[in-house]
Amino acid sequence: MTRVLEIENLSTHIQLSRSVVQAVGNVSLYIEAGETLGLVGESGCGKSITGLSIMNLLPPGGKVVGGSIRLEGKELVNLADAEMRKIRGNDIAMIFQDSSSSLNPTKTIGDQVAEPTLLHRGGSKREAVDRAIEVLDLVGVPRAKERLADYPHQLSGGLRQRVMIAIALTCDPKVLIADEPTTALDVTIQAQILKLLDDLKERFGMSILLITHDMGVVAGRADRVNVMYAGRMVEATGTKEIFSHMRHPYTQALLASIPRMDQDNTKTLFSIPGIPPDLTNPPEGCRFAPRCAYTQPDCQKSEPSLRGDDRHVAACFHPVEDGPLKPEMMVTVSHGQVERKDGKNEPPLLEVVDLVKTFPVTSGAILRRKVGKVHAVSGVSLTIRKGEIFGLVGESGCGKSTLGRVIVGLERPDSGKILLNGEDIFAYKGRTLAKKRRDLQMMFQDPYGSLDPRMRVAAILREPLSIQGVESSKEQEARSIELMREVGLPSRALERFPHEFSGGQRQRIGLARALTLNPKLIVADEPVSALDVSIRSQVLNLMKRLQVSHEMAYLVISHDLAVVKYLADRIGVMYLGKLVELAPGDEIYSRPVHPYTQGLINTIPLPDPEIEKDKKREVISGELPSPISPPSGCRFRTRCPRAQEICAQQEPQLRAFGASHMAACHFPLVEPLESATTASGHSQI
Amino acid sequence: MAGYLFRRFVTSLIVIVGISMVAFAMLHLISSSPGRAVLGLHASPKAVAAFNKANGYDDPIVIQYWHYLLQLLQGNLGYSYKLNQPVTSVLGENVLRSLYLSGVSLVLAILIAIPLGIYQAVKRNRLGDYIVTSGAFTLYSMPSFFLGLLLIQSFALSLKIFPPEASQSVSVIGVIEDPRAMFLPILNLVAIQVAGYSQYMRSSALDGLGQDYIRLARAKGLSQRAVLTGHLLRNSILPMITLIGLSVPALLAGNLLIETLFNYPGLGLMFYNALQNEDYPILLSYTLIAGVLTVAGNFIADVAITIADPRVRLS
Repeated sequence: MTRVLEIENLSTHIQLSRSVVQAVGNVSLYIEAGETLGLVGESGCGKSITGLSIMNLLPPGGKVVGGSIRLEGKELVNLADAEMRKIRGNDIAMIFQDSSSSLNPTKTIGDQVAEPTLLHRGGSKREAVDRAIEVLDLVGVPRAKERLADYPHQLSGGLRQRVMIAIALTCDPKVLIADEPTTALDVTIQAQILKLLDDLKERFGMSILLITHDMGVVAGRADRVNVMYAGRMVEATGTKEIFSHMRHPYTQALLASIPRMDQDNTKTLFSIPGIPPDLTNPPEGCRFAPRCAYTQPDCQKSEPSLRGDDRHVAACFHPVEDGPLKPEMMVTVSHGQVERKDGKNEPPLLEVVDLVKTFPVTSGAILRRKVGKVHAVSGVSLTIRKGEIFGLVGESGCGKSTLGRVIVGLERPDSGKILLNGEDIFAYKGRTLAKKRRDLQMMFQDPYGSLDPRMRVAAILREPLSIQGVESSKEQEARSIELMREVGLPSRALERFPHEFSGGQRQRIGLARALTLNPKLIVADEPVSALDVSIRSQVLNLMKRLQVSHEMAYLVISHDLAVVKYLADRIGVMYLGKLVELAPGDEIYSRPVHPYTQGLINTIPLPDPEIEKDKKREVISGELPSPISPPSGCRFRTRCPRAQEICAQQEPQLRAFGASHMAACHFPLVEPLESATTASGHSQI
Repeated sequence: MAGYLFRRFVTSLIVIVGISMVAFAMLHLISSSPGRAVLGLHASPKAVAAFNKANGYDDPIVIQYWHYLLQLLQGNLGYSYKLNQPVTSVLGENVLRSLYLSGVSLVLAILIAIPLGIYQAVKRNRLGDYIVTSGAFTLYSMPSFFLGLLLIQSFALSLKIFPPEASQSVSVIGVIEDPRAMFLPILNLVAIQVAGYSQYMRSSALDGLGQDYIRLARAKGLSQRAVLTGHLLRNSILPMITLIGLSVPALLAGNLLIETLFNYPGLGLMFYNALQNEDYPILLSYTLIAGVLTVAGNFIADVAITIADPRVRLS
């Protein structure tokens, strides 16, 4: 096989105002014609900077300081700008993570897709537009011709990503660099886009450099995988080997810390201690050594170089030999469980009864006329018991976050009730409502946006205490020191500002803030989705430990089914404002009833090449319909393979499929229990 | 879109009527008996009352406002007793002369500030950027009349290249035909505006340059020039449009000082004189014009944004 792209000893530095980030150091890789190379690693490991170095599109201050990048033998480092421009978008094309910001908002789709053809192929505007229609068709944009005059904001996220791929394809590139191409998308759309990339590669024989943090994404499609850590290439081999016979302890630890579907959730999740090193001042020796379980004295002294044969190299003095960490080899402890006297008879902690929440859609800048309603939550009922973890999953726009916000009282419902210990919290207003709310706290997704940047941690933790009237500053101080200890941060960190912490540490602060008032329920909205895998498992373990020690209940909202599966006792699946299935965690995975649930489970890319290769590439087709005018009857019917006429006419009710397993479907995958064919949504479930 | 613009137009009209009410009410508070003002302190109360009655100034304020509004609709802005002529004829070509001065300097300022701001953004934190920024801040922090004095001192009095006084021609055509006399006042206004707009454009362009779509445009293989003109320019101008629309009335206020300084018979100078003469009908008209300009500036900016930004156009 010929090597289309070859990188040797690439070093890229980024000059900041006072320091230099050694983002990429001595990285070598190659891509053969027609193959997909997966480049994986956590954020800040240098994988994106490697991709941008190839294109010479580095951010301000970025510069390739050494090494060579060759495209079919042609050196690209230090190539004259005019020459490099002929390669960009022509021989090498690149797609980025966020299609909503990567397309120019003021230019039409047609103009943007036609631009590379005009630039690199010459010819008339007409020919370029014809080519644009052709590639838009190719990437599966329906009625491409009619879309030419559209602007990016008129398209859905999935379609925008297709348009970006179309732009990359127009000039038949030899190499496509895909930098986290599906990270911003929902699982169902992610599956569609990944399938598209696979098809296109087959048809045109391109080589793809797939840059991602998601081991599941590379498992199914990469021919080979290269793993980066802290600016270094640590391991490179075939996809199968990396998952089954990895040599570098980092690869092993990374894979072990991803929560699996079959994870025992009574035990702690394996996690890598510590955080990656600061690349403005990288440590001597092996960069992973401080976090490595196998570290020896020589690891700190000098840095290991890549060794091995043509097929498998790893940069480690003491490579692992026995494949992935086996569960029994991981040092894990039992979380324990919140004791319940008798689950069934105990009164529920929180009841959500037939909750409806809509948001008005307005038009016009001055005279805001109501033109419609977004049906965010349409009649959801559920119950959370004391000390229980309830998981809520669904695609973005399904109403799960709105439901969470209503539960903690941040939004008022249109109708329906939230009962906390049998008491309707929305029967109160103003100050009384505020007092009632102390038992319901929230932990947010974004560790950067959810902490006031101008408040010290101490002030952040004391604020809820002051609001709820725990007034003595002695008490407040004692409480914040205790909280910091509980979330595993030093108490001297109380005097610091949020920006001085890493993402994982900030989520710990967010959790500490939620814990301040000893709530009975914490609503955690995507608590770990902004975090890297190795940090994620640390936070998940912490959440689980605190839940037990505080005897709290959680409502965990996430699009990541593995995370929810690991945390939750029971899981509810939401689709377009409706709860479509509700069951204990194990059961929902082993015996899904609703076609949507099954579709969701099938589309999650698993970090296991064997399973991924065998997976029939059956994906949920289409996209989420508009919540402004949801489909009649069953809301999922427009994307459901089993849909029939009745699905459009009649809305399916929740029916019992097991002791505590409910689903709302006319044509379920499993026969319902006969005794309870028409259970009402209000019953104790 | 047509419907939106129509609604926007109607709301603008309502706002203008509101402005006329407030202005009229204020004038009434300040000078409720024009008869006294016109006839002087020595006139008998009887004569004053007779004057007020003859001219309808003893009617209830609502009726007076109604008459005023009717006159306004016919294009009659009232009568200046101080100058003994209708306000419209006093305004006359003053309006056009002011429009010429403001319009020319605004257009020039925009044409200079936009490329200058982009240049600074591209050369961020390098010598060229520092030089322009220092210049801009120096001008921006300087009172406009002070800059005017410096210009007059250097270009008119010392170097004698340009006359110290703006064109005194009665007709606008005459003013346009005398660019040498108009050079200093226009330069003065342009310099002050460029100082502000270019810094705003710089930060807007810097925002734009950091956007992902600029990176994608580069990834297509476009040259720097094509990226800047084809992808950056339009997006970076969007925030400028609102800013310029909002600063139209400020321009009028700025002219007040410049027109006075260069003795240029425009609205500003007229206002200044009316203020000294306590000529209330003229002051009222000036307030009304300023109000209309504010509303019009906003309206035009809205229309321009609607045309320039497809996201606003369709939602």
